Amino acid sequence: MTNPRSLVSSSARIFDLSLGQMLWSRRSVFLGVLLGGPVVLAAAIRIVTATTALWRFSINGARVGGPALFGMIMWLLYIRFIIPVLGVFYGTALIADEVEDKTITYLFTRPVRRGAVLIGKYLAYLVCTILLVLPSVIVVFFLVVPLGGGSIGASFPILLEDLGMLMVGLVAYGAIFAWVGARLRRPLVIGLVFTFGWEPTVLLFPGYLKRLTVAYYLQALVPHAMPDDSAVSVLMQLFREVPPVGLSLASLAVIAGLALWLAARAVEQREYVIDQ
Amino acid sequence: MTVKTRYFAVCSLLVLVVGLGSGLVAYYGAIPTGALASRGGPDELRYIPADAAVVAYANVRQVMASELRQHFRQAAPGQETGQHELQAQTGINIETDIDHVVASLEGTSPGGNGPSAGLVLASGTFDEVKIEALMRDHGAQVVQYKDKRIIVAPTPTPTDLPDSNIPNPEKFSKPTEFALSFLKPGLVALGTSTLIRRAIDLENGGDNVTTNADLMNLVSSLDSGNAWAVGRFDALRGTGKLPDGMSQLPPIVWFSVTGQISDGISAVIRAETTNDEAAKNLRDVVQGFVALARLQAGSKPDLQALIQSLQISGSGKTVALSFSVPGRLVDLMAPVGGQLRNRQAAH
Repeated sequence: MTNPRSLVSSSARIFDLSLGQMLWSRRSVFLGVLLGGPVVLAAAIRIVTATTALWRFSINGARVGGPALFGMIMWLLYIRFIIPVLGVFYGTALIADEVEDKTITYLFTRPVRRGAVLIGKYLAYLVCTILLVLPSVIVVFFLVVPLGGGSIGASFPILLEDLGMLMVGLVAYGAIFAWVGARLRRPLVIGLVFTFGWEPTVLLFPGYLKRLTVAYYLQALVPHAMPDDSAVSVLMQLFREVPPVGLSLASLAVIAGLALWLAARAVEQREYVIDQ
Repeated sequence: MTVKTRYFAVCSLLVLVVGLGSGLVAYYGAIPTGALASRGGPDELRYIPADAAVVAYANVRQVMASELRQHFRQAAPGQETGQHELQAQTGINIETDIDHVVASLEGTSPGGNGPSAGLVLASGTFDEVKIEALMRDHGAQVVQYKDKRIIVAPTPTPTDLPDSNIPNPEKFSKPTEFALSFLKPGLVALGTSTLIRRAIDLENGGDNVTTNADLMNLVSSLDSGNAWAVGRFDALRGTGKLPDGMSQLPPIVWFSVTGQISDGISAVIRAETTNDEAAKNLRDVVQGFVALARLQAGSKPDLQALIQSLQISGSGKTVALSFSVPGRLVDLMAPVGGQLRNRQAAH
């Protein structure tokens, strides 16, 4: 019987192997489209503004400046959609893809701890998504913020807060869906239900249930005002509670740590049955 | 890690580093006050003292010619009392003589009772000789200060009014004189003689508002519009003239209002709080009110366009509320104008 390598070195090896696979997979095409959307949108707004001197971006007739528009893009595209979707699609696929492709046996027969497989893949997910999401946000920031006299310099600290918040979001959502992927049989469906069913619904109502979501803590870290884009937003604002930043960060750290530990434990203990 | 993956990581990191580096340079490069003082804001700001609590600008010609103004005149005629008073006293016709105005409000009155006196700098076309002659006919006196002539006219004080037993809240804040001076051809200063003297002193440089970095930051960050105002909210709060509910708001340091008046009003109100937490609280308060207003708007379809246009934004210490008032909403004000006219007639 071979001695299993240490968890760290094993995870690093799996990370090295998985990063390339993850980046150049078919899923990355989806990721590219998802992250290219805000950039294309920002570029289009910039081009129209530059070519039409009198045109000003407005919502329902009210003029909106560049920093405010950037805040809206962050809320509506990144925080409410892109970050949870990346977490669901990549997090649930960490183990499920290997099972589906019937390649998990090759990983489990290597002299590495099973938990290291999940941790290595999780780290690859983090690096892959961070390397794609953050540049996309930076490009959108430089395209949108100068509109309407907005100042890049004055808004720069907000950009740093945004980048930090997005990374925390990717960490938390990725860990939860890694656990879901490692533990359940149809993780994608459950992930989508959690992201687009449970979280938005629970946030609409007063009470303690919202504490069982990632969005509740993540939204407390957002430095921008929540946009009033729909009746749902209006209700959300009426019953909105904002936990302190320290508590949110601590809660997200606990959620991520616990979910990752549970995911690693599930991979260690579960017998994966490969359909023939 | 394959070469392709390595290239991708390097490119991505390059975008990050270049972006963050540029942002950092912009952040530190934006701090020197000299650069900011020289950009943004009308030239007349150099006549306004650095400790001004509120500075405002209006492109009078655009506002007067706007469809909204015409609409408002039709909806509520006879509301131009102040305009007529100024014309009777000085001969200046706001509609035809003035291009734009810059106004300021003092930080505190000499007694420390909050803003007391204001200075208005109007640019336009003025017949200096005619204005001076008219004011002298009304009892004004001319005082020479440096190379400028200050025309000082007494204004009726509350004690001069027929029924002086009625308590008048403005008794202690209304200036007892009205002065005017032509600072240069096409630029007239209106206010108290003390403030006009200060404006004359600042003409050749000195501690004017362009050296106030905080205020100039706000001025340079304003959206384009034909009217705006920026100021210290704490100074206004100190006057005690704000509604009671305002004192319960999270601590606001600065505020700004920018508006574009054409066929309607499109405006942005911004507030800057002491810290991020206060801004978050203020955003929540405003969002709560807006949400309630939206729920209520269902029963008042006329107001829906206004309510739907309310947009809250802002980040960090800033809270902003944008809105648009369509011109047709002015029609709703017509009955109010009628009621006001009836009330005035009854008195």
